[in-house]
Amino acid sequence: MISQLIIGGLASGSLYALIGIAIVLVLQATEVPNFAQGEMAMFATFVAYTLLATYGLSWWLVFPATLAFAAVQGVIVQQVVIRPLLGAPIINAVIATLGLNLALHSIAGMIWGNQTNVLTSPVAHLPVFQLLGVNVSPDSALTIIVSVAMIILFTLILRHTRAGIALRAASQNQSVAKLMGIAVSRSFAMAWAMGAMAGAVAGMLVAPILFLDVNLMGALLIKGFAGAVLGGLSSLGAVFVGGLLLGIVENLLGAYVSGTFSEALSFTLIIVVLIVAPNGIFGRVKSQKV
Amino acid sequence: MSTPDARASLAVQALGVSFGGVRALQDVTLAVDAGEIVGLIGPNGAGKSTLLNCVSGITRPTTGTVRLGDVELAGLRPDQIAAMGLGRVFQHPQVIAELSVLDNLLVASHRRLRFSVLAELVGLPGVRRAEDAARTEALEVARRIGLAGSLDVLTGSVPYGHRKLLELGRVILMGARLLLLDEPIAGLNEGEIEHLADLVLDLRSASGLSILLVEHNMGLVRRLCDRAVVLDAGQVIASGTPDAVLNDPRVLLAYLGEVPADA
Amino acid sequence: MVSPAIPAAARRDRLLVAAVAVFVGAMALFGGGYFVYLLNLIGIFSLVAIGLNILTGFSGQTSLGHAGFFAVGAYASGVLAQRFGLPFWLAIPVAGALATLIGAAIALPALRLKNLYLAIATLGFGIVTQKLIFEWRGVTGGGAGLQVPTPQLFGVPLAEGSRMTWIIWATLLAGTWAASQLASGRTGRALIMLRESEAAAGCIGIHVARYKVVAFALSAFYTAVAGGLYANLVRYINPESFSVNMSIMFLAMIVIGGLGSVRGALLGAAFYVAVPEAVRGFKEAPGLIFGISLMLVMILLPGGLISVFRRRKPARAAAAA
Repeated sequence: MISQLIIGGLASGSLYALIGIAIVLVLQATEVPNFAQGEMAMFATFVAYTLLATYGLSWWLVFPATLAFAAVQGVIVQQVVIRPLLGAPIINAVIATLGLNLALHSIAGMIWGNQTNVLTSPVAHLPVFQLLGVNVSPDSALTIIVSVAMIILFTLILRHTRAGIALRAASQNQSVAKLMGIAVSRSFAMAWAMGAMAGAVAGMLVAPILFLDVNLMGALLIKGFAGAVLGGLSSLGAVFVGGLLLGIVENLLGAYVSGTFSEALSFTLIIVVLIVAPNGIFGRVKSQKV
Repeated sequence: MSTPDARASLAVQALGVSFGGVRALQDVTLAVDAGEIVGLIGPNGAGKSTLLNCVSGITRPTTGTVRLGDVELAGLRPDQIAAMGLGRVFQHPQVIAELSVLDNLLVASHRRLRFSVLAELVGLPGVRRAEDAARTEALEVARRIGLAGSLDVLTGSVPYGHRKLLELGRVILMGARLLLLDEPIAGLNEGEIEHLADLVLDLRSASGLSILLVEHNMGLVRRLCDRAVVLDAGQVIASGTPDAVLNDPRVLLAYLGEVPADA
Repeated sequence: MVSPAIPAAARRDRLLVAAVAVFVGAMALFGGGYFVYLLNLIGIFSLVAIGLNILTGFSGQTSLGHAGFFAVGAYASGVLAQRFGLPFWLAIPVAGALATLIGAAIALPALRLKNLYLAIATLGFGIVTQKLIFEWRGVTGGGAGLQVPTPQLFGVPLAEGSRMTWIIWATLLAGTWAASQLASGRTGRALIMLRESEAAAGCIGIHVARYKVVAFALSAFYTAVAGGLYANLVRYINPESFSVNMSIMFLAMIVIGGLGSVRGALLGAAFYVAVPEAVRGFKEAPGLIFGISLMLVMILLPGGLISVFRRRKPARAAAAA
């Protein structure tokens, strides 16, 4: 029984981790917590739905197409909304992303209406299978596999490609990066593109499970933030573990303590953890020279 | 010359600070006697800031003691230490850009103004009187250090030199007996350096303040300091008069990486 | 010569609110019902904005959970009135006091947290509070909502919107007065110094922990009183409204108006109420217009709407206006 809960927790947790990664990629690069991440992902997921349902394309086409859309979306947001705000207090960018959040939510409502749509999962036809004596639904498995794959992919890009290394350099120290000829702006755009893609993947993974409507990502965004903060914002790995942990804890609390209060309890737990470890479980303090 | 204040003496004994596995300070012993100006020098990363942080209560020492007069400072909060008469001037002026120079100065009157938040909210007459008295005091200090003309100006628009003066004005207004000055002349032009150096000397002679001065500018150290202490990689490697210390081969080694042939 | 009188900024704050209050009073007497309704909301949310500004604008602690305090104020005063028959002018202050205690309690874990970590912790507070109100059905009525009895003053029911206007704006006037006292004095300077650098604040003699708690407590009080007024105005409250969305909108209000400015708080509240109302009619338009307005204001007016009025005096001190 408990292993069942853990698998389920890993599945939802990997979604939180994906959103968390999307947030932290952008946060580390441009210091902006993107509160529009959820709606951006929802938007991209609706695009995927349109391609699937209206145009009848297959997932093999829709997945990369949606990723491409998301990447463009990320770049546009960064160039149009975030770049003008460089140098202003971070809270201004936060409010701007909140504005974007609202605007996207409305636009999605205008385009696709408020009804609930069904997004068929690519693995819908597969049966539930058994792993180490535990029932695993194909959706859960897909979620975990794809999330982990994306995280590994991003980590590889950041560590081993020129663009990725440039991005890390730009995040660490903008002025030095500029002196070294690294196009800082381009790196930031790339960070936002990657974040948007991660979000879109999360959206495409969760929509088949939860039904697709404009309110899809609202709660997920909050969980993404919560998981990221729990793990600590200092590295993708920390965020990943934080998200997974949140998913598992939430599931366990829901089953063993209280179904209704699982979310509230999870948050309370996070606050308690933060009191003990103010920078998250794995967080490192960014010391400021006074 | 005013009588040196016993409270204005600093005694650091066998101070050690470790962060994780890194030993930022090791067995550091130094003293600033009442009315003295002691220079703290050393290459970047030597631990000077960590030392200042320990004395002012921002960092907790792992071992050793820090005494102001006969009071042990380790474990006290920064504001408690400030109340004992320790004033700190930071390397980068920690001033509020959106407030006027006067308001920034007045932050230093915080402890002297002894009314409660509730009294302030309600607007008891005592609050007004106390604030006015503080303003008058602040004006005095501003005149003394040369900031009287810019009191109403937004600190964000004020030149860098003025912001450094502002920091100095704060510790004077606080009534500090012992000052920690962290690279006070960095970023100043010659005229401003002269002005500040004169101020520092004046503070010592006229007010009997003691000063621990962190500096890279050796000329200033020679001019202002009675003694100098050299820190390198968290340890004290030399101590004595500025001339003695600046000619010490160990010090030259630490700074230059090698001892010049004519040392 | 340094002015011995009330600092100019505090004077400006009070003049503005007094002028607006006179205008509002006139509207309450002669204006139409819809207009009065908007004015009531602006008054209430201005109070929230001032409160949140003390925490986020002055002491720099970002809260994403202030709907929680708003809810505590609304529900505490509602329950006290409905169940225990307390008159509103008692119920609201008591609710405020309760919220102040909660705010002080929240501040303690917040002492160690910074930036996004603090924001998420406050987010958690808001979520937990909303959930508790939802589930504590016996007391709050849960999802069915709570009916708040009509407030009465000297036997006169304040059922008409315009009657509440006097109460709301009188409270706002008092609140603004107190806040501008704070802003231009010792506590205001201490809070802003906290925001600037905790280390420097400590070294200059400011008890950092105490002032962080003071900021939270005061902020909670203002917001809860506003919540109490809200409950007495709309007379039916439901936990669904006190959501994360509301907390976020509160934050947007003060940033739009101008962070750290008492007058900015009023502007922000007016913006928050007026803009969606202005485009009412089209279903999705309010969200879209409001969202775009948020982005535009941030890009074009980083100092908030109040910076439009500040432009005339660039170098002269605006102090903690």
